[in-house]
Amino acid sequence: MTRYITGILFIASLFIFSCSDSDGPEIQENEPFDRSQMLSSWADHFIIPGFESYAGELDELVSAKDAFIANPDVVSLNSLKSAWLDAYKSWQKVSMFDIGKAEEIGLRNFTNIYPADTDLINENITSGNFNLALPSNFDAQGFPALDYLLYGLSPDDSEIVTMLSQTNHAQYLDALIERLRTLGNEILNDWKGNYRDQFIQNDGSSATASVDKLVNDFLFYYEKYLRAGKIGIPAGVFSGGPISNSVEAPYSGIFSKDLFNIAFQSVQDFFNGRGYNGISGNSLDDYLKFTSNVNGTRDIASEIQSQWKSAEAKIEVLLPNFRDQVEQDNIKMLEAYDELQKAVVLLKVEMMQALNIRVDFVDADGD
Amino acid sequence: MKDWKILFILVFAVIGFQACSDDDDPTPDPSPSLEAPGTYNFERNGQSTVSFSGQTTRIKMASELINAMKKFDSSSELLLEMYVNESASGGDVAPFSESDLNSSTKSIRSKVAASKDFFSANAAESSQIKADFESWINAQVSEVFPNENVLAEPGVAGQIADGSSVRYVNAKGLEYNQAVNKGLIGALMVDQMVNNYLSPAVLDDGNNVAENDDGILAEDKSYTTMEHKWDEAYGYLFGTSTNAANPLPTLGEDAFLNKYLQRVNGDPDFEGIAQDIFDAFKLGRAAIVAGDYQLRDEQAEIVRGLVSKVIGVRAVYYLQQGKNGLPDSGNDYGGAFHDLSEGFGFVYSLRFTRQPESSSSYFSKAEVDGFIQQLTEGNGFWDVTPATLDQISEAIASKFDFSLSQAAE
Repeated sequence: MTRYITGILFIASLFIFSCSDSDGPEIQENEPFDRSQMLSSWADHFIIPGFESYAGELDELVSAKDAFIANPDVVSLNSLKSAWLDAYKSWQKVSMFDIGKAEEIGLRNFTNIYPADTDLINENITSGNFNLALPSNFDAQGFPALDYLLYGLSPDDSEIVTMLSQTNHAQYLDALIERLRTLGNEILNDWKGNYRDQFIQNDGSSATASVDKLVNDFLFYYEKYLRAGKIGIPAGVFSGGPISNSVEAPYSGIFSKDLFNIAFQSVQDFFNGRGYNGISGNSLDDYLKFTSNVNGTRDIASEIQSQWKSAEAKIEVLLPNFRDQVEQDNIKMLEAYDELQKAVVLLKVEMMQALNIRVDFVDADGD
Repeated sequence: MKDWKILFILVFAVIGFQACSDDDDPTPDPSPSLEAPGTYNFERNGQSTVSFSGQTTRIKMASELINAMKKFDSSSELLLEMYVNESASGGDVAPFSESDLNSSTKSIRSKVAASKDFFSANAAESSQIKADFESWINAQVSEVFPNENVLAEPGVAGQIADGSSVRYVNAKGLEYNQAVNKGLIGALMVDQMVNNYLSPAVLDDGNNVAENDDGILAEDKSYTTMEHKWDEAYGYLFGTSTNAANPLPTLGEDAFLNKYLQRVNGDPDFEGIAQDIFDAFKLGRAAIVAGDYQLRDEQAEIVRGLVSKVIGVRAVYYLQQGKNGLPDSGNDYGGAFHDLSEGFGFVYSLRFTRQPESSSSYFSKAEVDGFIQQLTEGNGFWDVTPATLDQISEAIASKFDFSLSQAAE
């Protein structure tokens, strides 16, 4: 991904804006928004409990995997599938926090790049010689690869059990799940170690400050992974026509909408400051309302919230399996995409301007 | 004797007449009525006179070479055969997927750094440049391919993540396929166009002027030799266009000059440059038909300046993209390296640009060598600094009429 900084002009315009404002008496008297408190809330009510929950689900997944390998049958396969789904759902809540160790190791690339490359997966299984740390194996591991192994090897569960019982298949299954847990724990331990304080103390407003970076991560996640990855790409927004096979978890066939809904809810919860265990704290909606009050400008937070309500209405009517939706009535997918897209404009332009945060990424030119 | 006298008087009269009319009108328009046609479509007796199949062939060969460089089962023999279109011992080969390319006697290498103006008396540099491409092709196979499943690090070739995709780089972070791809834009397309086919040394070679004046066609052809030379320049830009007579609506159809003209034209700072280049090509070609060589050469100078500018803009663009992509922490070098690899190729291509109204490139060999040295010294892209990238970008932009910031985004 190419990330770079835009918006010098924008800074310049803000400068002018603040100059003209300085005639008024109110600005100097206002307390600035407490970024540090918001960062604490993000760390303690979202990110750390999110990764704790994720790591817990991965422990469950490892146990289910061990049980299946020790005693492969349809029952233990079903337990494994269910542990996979729980962990996959839990991942949806932390994927957007691509900062610190997660950013450094490229967690998302090793966890949820889809569609999976089934040829490569089979090649790795056959050879038994693979290095999951290589970027060329991004799409041969993580939840999408497990979706293929647990659901896609055969339409018949007992046949899947037979195949996964073979040494090389079992070895690959084992390696994929162990790796997910190792990486998940690495992130969690980093947050529980020094990184939490480092993250909170970096409360300035430069391009590398925590607020600026995480807001960019949030925006990037919303635009590329939620809007495009889960809806736009399968619906063919970025290609000549729909690509129904590129939905999330296509082999299981039934979870793409579930996974989307959890991801979308997580985005909204983060924006609205509704943390784990029902704990609320300051977040982007409060920050936006604060700037809107101080400057007497538009209530962008409410506009974003109401745009997301419109998107939810369009998503509600979609079939549980987005692949079916794309193949049967793609217009509805496109309509859902359009509503999600309208929020991109509010987030990327209006919100970023209001918060004086520069967008640090652009679309690569594709060559 | 009598005839001679009459002729002499006539000639004298004509000269005198011209001198008088020149005095009356100090800035004569040599062809006030000549207008550029709407499309690059020229006919004689109902038959098209436009031909540039050789250029189309070379662009296609270069495309196949670039793609083959990204396939790990390509041998260096195969890649070199694509470059040279013959075997190491000079035998006939068939390395391409398209049979037309295999049966062709043309090759990429024969036209690399091969323009009349720059290299006809500069065989030493020409052979160095041809060898640069050969060494990049060889190194792709000998350095990068063996490390297909190795993570790249400073001093170690291998794979590196660029977002969720994978790039394969050498020990300095350079993608050789990008060096070849973007380097050929300069060494093949631009050099042949601006320093060869648009040059009076080529257009007016031999009896070209007299034949063009008299409408004498090349043997078995529908065009005069001069017309054809001009078309060959055109072909290096529009040779793969779906509708070559009206190519702008589908700009971006190859991976070379055509594509990057589209990219530069898409930047609001340079919007319209594609139309300006196309217009100059059309008008210059019409001028040849009308025998107006001054007008022809004026158009050639316009093309030279603008095509050179495309290279300059793109070089600065990628260096700046690379600079902005360098991680301030962590190890996300991949995106930056990809941009810097493209930038490397465009910087290399600067050597083949042409200043209008001049016999020189915008950058001497020594200057370009200096840039390349700065980009590749030590561990190359792994330790190149933003300051160095800015310095090179400034040095490039300052020679053209655009600013660093105009080109950067």
